[in-house]
Amino acid sequence: MQLSWKDIPTVPTSNDMLDIVLNRTQRKTPTVIRPGFKISRIRAFYMRKVKFTAEGFGEKFTDIIGGFPNINDVHPFHRDLMDTLYEKNHYKVSLAAVSKAKTLIEQVSRDYNRLLKFGQSLYQCKQLKRAALGRMATITKKLKDPLVYLEQVRQHLGRLPSIDPNTRTLVICGYPNVGKSSFLRCITKADVEVQPYAFTTKSLYVGHFDYKYLRFQAIDTPGILDRPTEEMNNIEMQSIYAIAHLRSCVLYFMDLSEQCGFSIEAQVKLFHSIKPLFANKSVMVIMNKSDIIKVEDLDTNSQELLKSLTTLPGVEVMHTSCHEEDNVMQVRNHACEKLLTARIEQKLKGTARVNNVLNKIHVARPQARDDVDRSAFIPDAVKDLEKFDINDPNRRKLARDIESENGGAGVFNINLKDKYLLEDDDWKNDIMPEILDGKNVYDFLDPDIAAKLQALEDEEERLDAEGFYDSDSDLEGDDEEIQDIKEKAKWIRDKQKTMILEGRNRKSLKNKSIMPRDKIKKSFNQMEEHMYNIGHETETLREKSGQAKFKKELSGVDILKKNQGIQSSKIAKRTAQANQTDRLNDGVSDGAMRSQAERLAKIQRRERNRQARQGEGDRHSTAMLPKHLFSGKRGIGSTDRR
Amino acid sequence: MRVYQCHFCSAPVYPLHGIMFVRNDAKEFRFCRSKCHKSFKQRRNPRKLRWTKAFRKAAGKELVVDSTLTFAARRNVPVRYNRDLVATTLKAMSRIEEIRQKRERAFYKNRMRGNKDKDLAYDRKLIEQHPELLRMREVELRRKAERLAAKENAMEEEEEITSDDMMSEDEDMESESEAEQVKQKVLLKNKRKTRA
Repeated sequence: MQLSWKDIPTVPTSNDMLDIVLNRTQRKTPTVIRPGFKISRIRAFYMRKVKFTAEGFGEKFTDIIGGFPNINDVHPFHRDLMDTLYEKNHYKVSLAAVSKAKTLIEQVSRDYNRLLKFGQSLYQCKQLKRAALGRMATITKKLKDPLVYLEQVRQHLGRLPSIDPNTRTLVICGYPNVGKSSFLRCITKADVEVQPYAFTTKSLYVGHFDYKYLRFQAIDTPGILDRPTEEMNNIEMQSIYAIAHLRSCVLYFMDLSEQCGFSIEAQVKLFHSIKPLFANKSVMVIMNKSDIIKVEDLDTNSQELLKSLTTLPGVEVMHTSCHEEDNVMQVRNHACEKLLTARIEQKLKGTARVNNVLNKIHVARPQARDDVDRSAFIPDAVKDLEKFDINDPNRRKLARDIESENGGAGVFNINLKDKYLLEDDDWKNDIMPEILDGKNVYDFLDPDIAAKLQALEDEEERLDAEGFYDSDSDLEGDDEEIQDIKEKAKWIRDKQKTMILEGRNRKSLKNKSIMPRDKIKKSFNQMEEHMYNIGHETETLREKSGQAKFKKELSGVDILKKNQGIQSSKIAKRTAQANQTDRLNDGVSDGAMRSQAERLAKIQRRERNRQARQGEGDRHSTAMLPKHLFSGKRGIGSTDRR
Repeated sequence: MRVYQCHFCSAPVYPLHGIMFVRNDAKEFRFCRSKCHKSFKQRRNPRKLRWTKAFRKAAGKELVVDSTLTFAARRNVPVRYNRDLVATTLKAMSRIEEIRQKRERAFYKNRMRGNKDKDLAYDRKLIEQHPELLRMREVELRRKAERLAAKENAMEEEEEITSDDMMSEDEDMESESEAEQVKQKVLLKNKRKTRA
């Protein structure tokens, strides 16, 4: 729940409000209508103005309505406080007036928009708009008084102390001038005005202090006079509300010296008259100004009166002196303690909270299934066991006895194998092989192994008889032909391998330059050698080689050229022709035309160059980030994926 | 102490050898060497690696179904020690191993049966397809034989200087071979020139 209202937006006066909204309309909407405008456009122009103004008013009014607290929603203490301070009805009526104005303005806007839709001329539309804004202005001007009132309320609300009705609170009350404010000054850092006349404090003041690491608030109230509540003024009513609504410890201050101007009798009477407000609260009566006069020094009549104070259950009386700061802290601490215990008691009293915890606790008590007795099982051996007695010579022999017999702790080592349960006790200390020929012996250990082995032997015999183990004896005596074939095949395989290797070596370019094939010269001898190795007859070759030297056969174009009379040397020298055309002179018949074309191109470029514009020769990328150039992962190493 | 099996290649893992990996569900994986461990960490499938027992068994290269293989098993019911039983077991183990090896040999032979004929058929085909290589072989063999003969002749020359009739024939042969050698040297020179 909201406790302080410091951030309510300011409420402008009705005239200011008008200025603000109309100014905004003027600024935010188009202002000029030109001669050529169509009527539909003119209508839209004015409709927009009217709508915009209405919206402006609406926004302002919603801000105001939303900013102020709804008097029915706040804590009763605040509600009563606001009622006394601002007059509840007045407050409500003012806010209602604002709200009403809002709906009225909306209605006006709606009506005139409907009329504007059918406006026939510029003039008509303009007059309609004027009428609409005029009516809105009138409505706003009628709000003059509520707005002024609300602004005042806003300012006062913002200055109200932020009192939390639900925290630990001490409320200081009493007749005027009995020393309430000076007590607050003593126990908190609050800078409250203290003056030697009645009604110095005219409103509630709050001070904060810590006790036992808990935050407390102490509320100083204006003085109360002993009269019926109807006759009380606003200042007194504030204290009454504080006492009535806050769950607190009430400190009723009394001045025994009567320096405040009120007799002890009057003060006691006031206490009794406001007693009904103390229900469900812890109350303390503080006798202030104990430096001037003590209770003992009073006459019997007054003492009797004071005793009547304690008739109310739970009321405690303490003495203090704010002037000498005597007993102040004790009073404060006592009050705090009292408040804390009271609050805890109140919490425990609430049945809902206790029930909440009780609901969560559940103790399960299982039902008996049947009448069968299921007692614990104790073996007979244990039952019959004799009680061990160390003084008995025939007592059981324990492991520790054995240990002490064999040299005591550290020397004796327990033989765990003694506990083995085997068929024959002689076997206890046997050592069993765990691994045999790379096999785990324990895997083979099986009570029926003899039978299984026998079965295996039988199977073996059967297989032997069937001839399972008769090898086909591959010694079929390979005859010579087969041997020959094998040898030949082996040779071929080897040869193929070496040939492949040689070929690879020939081709592999290990930092060597390559001689073009047609430039390699091979002698006749080499060829002859090669042919011989392959298995050809070389005789005929040798015979032919002599004749071939002088006969050089021509082929293809060379024959034609020879016929035309071109020298053979030229034919031989001709290299591979570059298969490119001269692009500079393509499409131009001669040099004169070439130069003319160049001139034309220059003139074309001149204007573009003068303007420093981009030409076709400029570097140009079609897109800012051509995908095919910039995409691709960058692995380790190369940044160039292409 | 136990001899465990390598989880990857099924080789025996003797005590103090290999490495063990315990997965967070408490399953133990024992490896005979770092190779198996690494392969396991790389999530290789032992059935697809030719060097593992798993592959060999899956591919039918090893004896899988046999009565000798049923003897070794981890039993859930522990067997109490019995001296006689252990003695018979030890004897049985060696006998079982003997039989197993015999059967494995038979299995291998059965598996390899018929390979010889296949190989021979391949060889025949190869020879048929490459007559030109065979011609080269003949040349090579001839050369070899000539060289051998020449060597023998030289030996004989040293021993029998008196027999002149044979000499003349031999000389012819030798001169031929010498000429060939010279030719080869020239060839080599030419080659170098072309290279340079």
